[in-house]
Amino acid sequence: MAVDLQAAGGGPVLSIENVDVRFGGIHALKGVSLTVNAGEICGLIGPNGAGKTTLFNSITRLSTVTAGSIRIHGRAIEAVPARRIIGLGIARTFQNLGIYGAMTVLENVMLGAHHLTGGRFVEAMLRPGRARRVESETEQHCRAILEDFNLSGVAEAAAGSLPYATQKRMEIARALASRPTVLLLDEPAGGLTHGEVAEFGELVSRVRDHHGVTIVLIEHHMGLVMSLCDRVEVFHLGRNLASGTPAEVKANPDVIDAYLGRAR
Amino acid sequence: MSTQLLRFAPAALVAALLGLPLFVPDFLLFEISIAVSYGIAILGLNLLLGFTGQICLAQGALFGVGAYTTAILNVSFGWDPVATLPFAAISAGLIGVIIGLPALRLQGLQLAIITFGVASAFPQLLLKMDTLTGGVTGLATDQPFAPKWFPGSQEAWLYGLSLICAAISIVVVTRLLRGDTGRMMRALRDNPVIAEALGVNLTKGRLAAFAVSSALAGLGGGLFCILNGFISPQSFLPMKSIDILIGGIVGGITSIAGAFIGALFVVFVPGFTTDINPALGGLIYGLCLIGMMMIARQGIAGLRMEKLPAAILGVFKFKSSSRFPGAVPGQLGGE
Repeated sequence: MAVDLQAAGGGPVLSIENVDVRFGGIHALKGVSLTVNAGEICGLIGPNGAGKTTLFNSITRLSTVTAGSIRIHGRAIEAVPARRIIGLGIARTFQNLGIYGAMTVLENVMLGAHHLTGGRFVEAMLRPGRARRVESETEQHCRAILEDFNLSGVAEAAAGSLPYATQKRMEIARALASRPTVLLLDEPAGGLTHGEVAEFGELVSRVRDHHGVTIVLIEHHMGLVMSLCDRVEVFHLGRNLASGTPAEVKANPDVIDAYLGRAR
Repeated sequence: MSTQLLRFAPAALVAALLGLPLFVPDFLLFEISIAVSYGIAILGLNLLLGFTGQICLAQGALFGVGAYTTAILNVSFGWDPVATLPFAAISAGLIGVIIGLPALRLQGLQLAIITFGVASAFPQLLLKMDTLTGGVTGLATDQPFAPKWFPGSQEAWLYGLSLICAAISIVVVTRLLRGDTGRMMRALRDNPVIAEALGVNLTKGRLAAFAVSSALAGLGGGLFCILNGFISPQSFLPMKSIDILIGGIVGGITSIAGAFIGALFVVFVPGFTTDINPALGGLIYGLCLIGMMMIARQGIAGLRMEKLPAAILGVFKFKSSSRFPGAVPGQLGGE
């Protein structure tokens, strides 16, 4: 399916063209394309095994693309090491949480800001005053995010001791601490209760509005996808199946086929 | 009340350490100084194993690199022994980085074997390089004598030097463990994939930990050489690396105080057990180690007095599941 590269809006922040990913004999993605414009909330849906998470892993260089191209703000990322992706403005959350349970919430969120000022061993050893100043600036920045996410009360609690919904919220807070332009959320509402899902939707759209980030989310919770997303891309068996507004996608017979397996 | 007492605890500890020469005989002070030199090497291992999850069984060899750097600079080049200490740390640090290179690909048990290979090769290497190292006869170094104004004994002077070296090491490790570098090391230990997604440079983090850990081993070794006044390949057999590992685990692998407690354990307890029964010293020491790990799984520094009875009783409950997390999360599983 062709993707319109001249899409309206702020121009593509993320453009993926004909991407192939193979793991040994498994052909996880077969010529997938996706364009995400600045300020959008773009939903990726599709049955299990459609390749949605593999696509996220390709964007963050955890999986290697065998063919096709991925561009972030127009820059090809094939040769960029995984740890540099966050510096290009792409932050992500993980499907089954990627948090550090033994660390406090504040420490987890401050790790999000690691790529901005972190990793200076010599400075930490020889210029402790400077290191402490940078640390306190980072802490201030992160505490503001915790405040915004209503997590200030648990800032010093071990992340592993918190309820699942709070951990998910913390993971998004950590992603935001990296000052991203694009946020990739992998099933942010997975495992949440009905009430939590609604709260979550509000949080995501608030993040987009307040922090000016573009959001791509993988989600199975149709209610959330339909109410939250500006645009929905449907994947099936490693290919693009359909694309459009939530209403268009919902009415697409191919999509209904893929989900319900109705005989043609 | 107790929190107020705790506030004075560090000051009281420093006072006790400085006042020790007044109460302790010189030979014991010498042994404590030797323990401090091991403690510095163990502190390095704690940073490496406890905080980045990388095992190094060559710590004894790196200790030896530091000792020989000090001895060679003193014997062959006439340097003041104390002035050689920074170079002992630097040379061991550089060699540590080379040993650490395989750690970028291998973790856990494979890394343990590779580093132990270095420890095994080291004494032989010293013998082969006998023009520099003096071979089997070893090297005798000058001792820095106490200045005339110093009221105490020579042992007390060297004990003071040991404390200064330990203090510098503790400051370096504390600075690295707080703030971003500390979080980064724990992050790459607990989950390298997520750490990388967060922008952590795994290569840099792992090698930096190896460099600092090895430099501390080198500093400890240089100090050991000064204290002992004589070193030979016999002082740096592979078992030394195992002793350092035991000291780290028994003391508490994620504790700074634990490093020095563990050092005191490996220096003094084998002697105590031999005193109990000269023929069965090794057996009693072995049982001590087994008992330590059953009662204090997080090391002596992780022991809480109020939980001690429960921990001792817990030994007799043969449940398959461990109620305590391992001393070192995920260090032996490999990647």
